[in-house]
Amino acid sequence: MPAATTTDPSTEQKDRLIAAVKKEVKHLMEEAVTRKFVHEDSGGVTALCGAVEACLGQGLRRRALGLFKTSSTTALLHKIAKHCPEAALVSARVMAAEGAPATRSASGVERRPSAPRPPLNKRGSGSLLSQPASQSRYLWIRIALFERQLAKIIEHLVNNANRYYERDALVADPDYGSILSSLLVGPCALEYSKAKAPACFWSDPPADELVQRHRMSAGTTTPPSVRRPILNFRRSLNASSDDTASSNTATGNATGSSAKDYVESLHQNSRATLLYGKNNVRVQPKDVEEPMPGYLSLHQTAAGLIIKWTPNQLMNGYAESEGLDKSVYWAMSLQVCAWEVVYVHVHRSQASDALILVGQDGVQRPPIQFPKGGHLLSFLSNFETGLLPHGQLDPPLWSQRGSGKVFGRGKTRRRPMPSLCESGETEEVDWEEAAGDYVFRIVNNAIADREAMRHSLLERAVQSPPRTPRRPLASTSTTSSDSSTMSVDYPQSICFNSQPPLTPAQLPPVEQAASIELVCSTMRRQIISRAFYGWLAYCRHLSTVRTHLSGLVHPHIVPRDGTEAGLTEEIWRSMMDDEGVVTDKDEVYRLVYYGGIQHDIRREVWPYLLGYYEFGSTAEQRSSQDAACRRQYETTMSEWLCVEAIVRQRDREATAASIARLTEATGKSKSTDVVDSGEVFEDDCSVISDNPPIVSPEPCEKEQLKPESKPVLSRAPSIDEVENIEMDSKEKENDESTVNGETETGDSKDHVDIDSLNDVDDDEVYIKSVVENPDMRRESIAEIKRLAEGIVQKGDGRRLLCSVDSGNMTLNGNDLKSSIDENEQNPPQQQHTSVIITNPSVDLAVSGSPASGGTTANVSPARSPLGVVREESQSAGASFDTLEPSIDARPENRSNCASPASSNGGVYSNELVESFALNLHRIEKDVLRCDRNYPFFTDENLDKLRNIMCTYVWEHLDMGYMQGMCDLAAPLLVMMREEAVAHALFARLMERAKDNFPSGQAMDAHFADMRSLIQILDCELYELMHAHGDYTHFYFCYRWFLLDFKRELLYQDVFSAWELIWAARYVASEHMVLFIALALLETYRDVILANTMDFTDIIKFFNEMAERHDASAVLSLARDLVLQVQTLIENK
Amino acid sequence: MAKTYDYLFKLLLIGDSGVGKTSILFRFSEDAFNISFISTIGIDFKIRTIDLDGKKVKLQIWDTAGQERFRTITTAYYRGSMGIMLVYDVTNEKSFENIKNWIRNIEENASADVEKMILGNKCDLDAKRQVSKERGEQLAIEYQIKFVETSAKDSLNVEYAFYTLARDIKAKMEKKQEASNPPGARSGAHQLRANEQQRKPTSWLSRCSVL
Repeated sequence: MPAATTTDPSTEQKDRLIAAVKKEVKHLMEEAVTRKFVHEDSGGVTALCGAVEACLGQGLRRRALGLFKTSSTTALLHKIAKHCPEAALVSARVMAAEGAPATRSASGVERRPSAPRPPLNKRGSGSLLSQPASQSRYLWIRIALFERQLAKIIEHLVNNANRYYERDALVADPDYGSILSSLLVGPCALEYSKAKAPACFWSDPPADELVQRHRMSAGTTTPPSVRRPILNFRRSLNASSDDTASSNTATGNATGSSAKDYVESLHQNSRATLLYGKNNVRVQPKDVEEPMPGYLSLHQTAAGLIIKWTPNQLMNGYAESEGLDKSVYWAMSLQVCAWEVVYVHVHRSQASDALILVGQDGVQRPPIQFPKGGHLLSFLSNFETGLLPHGQLDPPLWSQRGSGKVFGRGKTRRRPMPSLCESGETEEVDWEEAAGDYVFRIVNNAIADREAMRHSLLERAVQSPPRTPRRPLASTSTTSSDSSTMSVDYPQSICFNSQPPLTPAQLPPVEQAASIELVCSTMRRQIISRAFYGWLAYCRHLSTVRTHLSGLVHPHIVPRDGTEAGLTEEIWRSMMDDEGVVTDKDEVYRLVYYGGIQHDIRREVWPYLLGYYEFGSTAEQRSSQDAACRRQYETTMSEWLCVEAIVRQRDREATAASIARLTEATGKSKSTDVVDSGEVFEDDCSVISDNPPIVSPEPCEKEQLKPESKPVLSRAPSIDEVENIEMDSKEKENDESTVNGETETGDSKDHVDIDSLNDVDDDEVYIKSVVENPDMRRESIAEIKRLAEGIVQKGDGRRLLCSVDSGNMTLNGNDLKSSIDENEQNPPQQQHTSVIITNPSVDLAVSGSPASGGTTANVSPARSPLGVVREESQSAGASFDTLEPSIDARPENRSNCASPASSNGGVYSNELVESFALNLHRIEKDVLRCDRNYPFFTDENLDKLRNIMCTYVWEHLDMGYMQGMCDLAAPLLVMMREEAVAHALFARLMERAKDNFPSGQAMDAHFADMRSLIQILDCELYELMHAHGDYTHFYFCYRWFLLDFKRELLYQDVFSAWELIWAARYVASEHMVLFIALALLETYRDVILANTMDFTDIIKFFNEMAERHDASAVLSLARDLVLQVQTLIENK
Repeated sequence: MAKTYDYLFKLLLIGDSGVGKTSILFRFSEDAFNISFISTIGIDFKIRTIDLDGKKVKLQIWDTAGQERFRTITTAYYRGSMGIMLVYDVTNEKSFENIKNWIRNIEENASADVEKMILGNKCDLDAKRQVSKERGEQLAIEYQIKFVETSAKDSLNVEYAFYTLARDIKAKMEKKQEASNPPGARSGAHQLRANEQQRKPTSWLSRCSVL
């Protein structure tokens, strides 16, 4: 209805409706651009849905659909579902969502669970209280939008409008209808994210998003770093980021002037409140002929009010061209801090309203042209509100008859800016005329007082001629930290201030000139003295730095020529002579440092780097070294395996005891009260707490035990069946030896199996099955109770002793006797410690070379605090002997190593056993959790890792296992594949790394060094950290240093990083980790700065970024940083 | 006005190594479970914002390394925390016994009025259970701490636990506020956050840039 409708009031209404939709679509699209996704619960979505609903509701033929009460448009949807497949889909979803909220997740909506979460969701009691009303409103529009069907549904409606709508309805209108449906195409193409409930919407953006935003705003991904010179100043730092940002932005602005700020801050966020936003505001930037349309926004931040203008190209262009050069547009964008603006000029003409900001330096910003209408005025009034409470517009906008603000009558003057005192006379401007010029001054009261004080001091000092009192003109100073100290005043500005109590006419021109001169000279002096002191401080600081940092790097800079390829196989082979001797170690280090090692030869080179192989050794020497290492390793292993057997035995008992106790308790709790049962088991408790800590043995044992020995839980308690228990441990040991790569000979294995089968009696099998089967559990309670009683009786030690005795019978008389004596002398409550051993294995150990004190035998008594030496362990030693025959039987076996003499030292102090048990459990817990996502770590290889850990810990029992050791050993094992060598390398690695663990001091030193390095190399970052300095420790670096970045990088990259660290020791720095850490930090410095992250933010950021770094860039940056420090120190 | 939350609560998860602290946290923050978690080294935290009686409560939950050797590091985080979850493993007697040690640790390092709660995790593994629920309850009574058995794997009571702890902290905080301030003042946690935004005066380095 084209021509006729110009006066039609319904057209006006349609206009309004469409405009509302347009606006919301625009908001939503902007949100999508800046945030990269739109959250389903975002306010924008709700607003858009509301606007669409209004459009659809207008002119709807309600009579036709009258039977539906709730929401007429919903009814409409269901109605058209018959004809429109899209609507049918949405309609089904809506029904599901409305009808069965509780079961909705099962009803197929979960692909994009749109609007309301089911009220009975698992989020717990708290969240189901209030389901936001906004979510249930416009439900179908929401769902249609998220299903991306909305545009099509509307299109369908428009095409069939005559069926559902009055003739003058918006939808039925040929123009508006199609506009409406095409408007919605955009939002329907967006990605709506549910993420994690509404929580995500309120949470901090994840690290990924931060990096993404940064990339986006940086235009092209500039390689971080070396672009900055060493020891740069804040100004130069800013300048570097300003290149990409805006030429118009004020430098040194504390709010951060870089482009990335836009991306985040155009949006309402936690740091800045959006006061005003208007699209299609035109600005003509420099070097551009035509004024360009863009988005003008006003933000309230902690640092003050900020005016921003972003060209439309930036607002829209994101989706299509990430790579395209947007830096041009970034350069055009505007960002002005209100406190840096002194004057706001307003030029109103027929065509458009223009606003010009004039900075305190007198420089004019490009005019900002508002479309006609109240836009300029509304901007100004928002601006004025934003300035409060610390600042104000002078003269203020005037309220007029409640109709909003208008330009002050009689308070404005038409006047060109730089002329000093042209005016005094005011000119009445008729608002209706809508043309004219206005000048507003921005007054900052906050610093006004401060400035006033300073002025008075200054004036006194320079004997300034008496001046008429004037209002403090704080507008001339700035909040930017650098220049605020320069209390420069612009006396001339007073002239503009024609307001009472002072008019410029009162101020004689001569005096003005004098005071300008005066101020200038003061300024000059101040600048010079400031410069001098700055320089002085800088020099002093440099010398401190040099002394402090000189220890971190080598003074001599090793050239990097010809190292691009690193240490390739070819080079490596050529360095080797006929006998496999490599002598030029410096060259090797240099190549590795600058270029890394080709993966194929890492296995060969790593032992050199870690100092395991000597440079200059022949191939023969190395292989004999390997053999010796292997022997040594196996010997050590055989030692701790004995102890492990003891530990296992204890665990089983303890586990059985507590399970029995639990069963007893639950059994009892039905009839008797809980307290009672607690008392009953009090004794028991004390016994058990003496035990080494019981870690749920099951998961650990899974690794080593065969299926038949798995349900230890039911078996162990049967004291009567000690023999079976012993079988278990023996089997286990067999397994372990298999793990070691020494497969059992068939004979011995069969033998064992048969034995075990014989020993397992029916009764036990029964129990086993009962316990495993929960249904039968009840029946088994009685059985277990019986067993538990056996355990409880253990308290007096009688039965136990018996069993031990019977086992020991077969041993030679002396030992038996002493062990019995021992047992009898011991107080009963220690009895359990002697139940350790696998007696039958002694039987098996045919010749069973009687335990003669081996190495450990000599050691362990000394370790025993009470001098209580447990004799029983001799049988443990003996049990190990059972392996002997089989090992010896094999021709290729390398082991005379596990010689009886060394293996069955036989005597272990209780303390030793307990301490090892503690470590063993920790190791097993951690090994199981180590890098399970990495395919290398199959069960078999995890066992290798476990053995390496146990061996190392056995050798360093005073240090013990510490979490993180597994991580350090894993890459070595992956690389070397062989346990013994990996263990040897690990031991070397730990020589340095152990100081990083809590027992050492290195971590604190690292933190301190990090601090100084950051201070020197990136003072801007340092200041940020310093400002948030609630922690003196850089805990976000903790894991980096502890694990040499093992958790931060992927395996392949860990290899490179470690090589770099090892080689750097001889080439550039013994503290390469510091520089890698610094490189990591520098890589993301802009993200950190842009988001003003505090320490917790940084921890979170880096934890989330783990294994996603560009390692080669980081490592080469690290090398560059070393070079920077080296140069710095060299240039003293 | 974009205010991302009304309250910020710092919570801490402590307990022996391997009891499932990370799993609990992962369940709560990501609503997921992964059987092959890695041991926590150093310290990590996750954030989830929950809705408590119409207030947005942002929970910043710190996950710590369990091994007592690392306590020097973890105790640094005791001080700032407003709520502490003590976690043990129902299939591990020792971890339960150690709860007492952890409580002692809290008493030494955390602020006196920190809210506590005991979680007996892995309660889905009934077959391997070593610590009965009654014992857990008794311990809780003994220390006057709330207690619940959880399963990160089966998502049992994890939400409940955090909501309960958060609610207790909130109640305590509001009570305290009413006592000290006239009503209507912002929460302490939020003020704290707001202050962080302000930059400290700059050092000589920046002043130099006048050059």
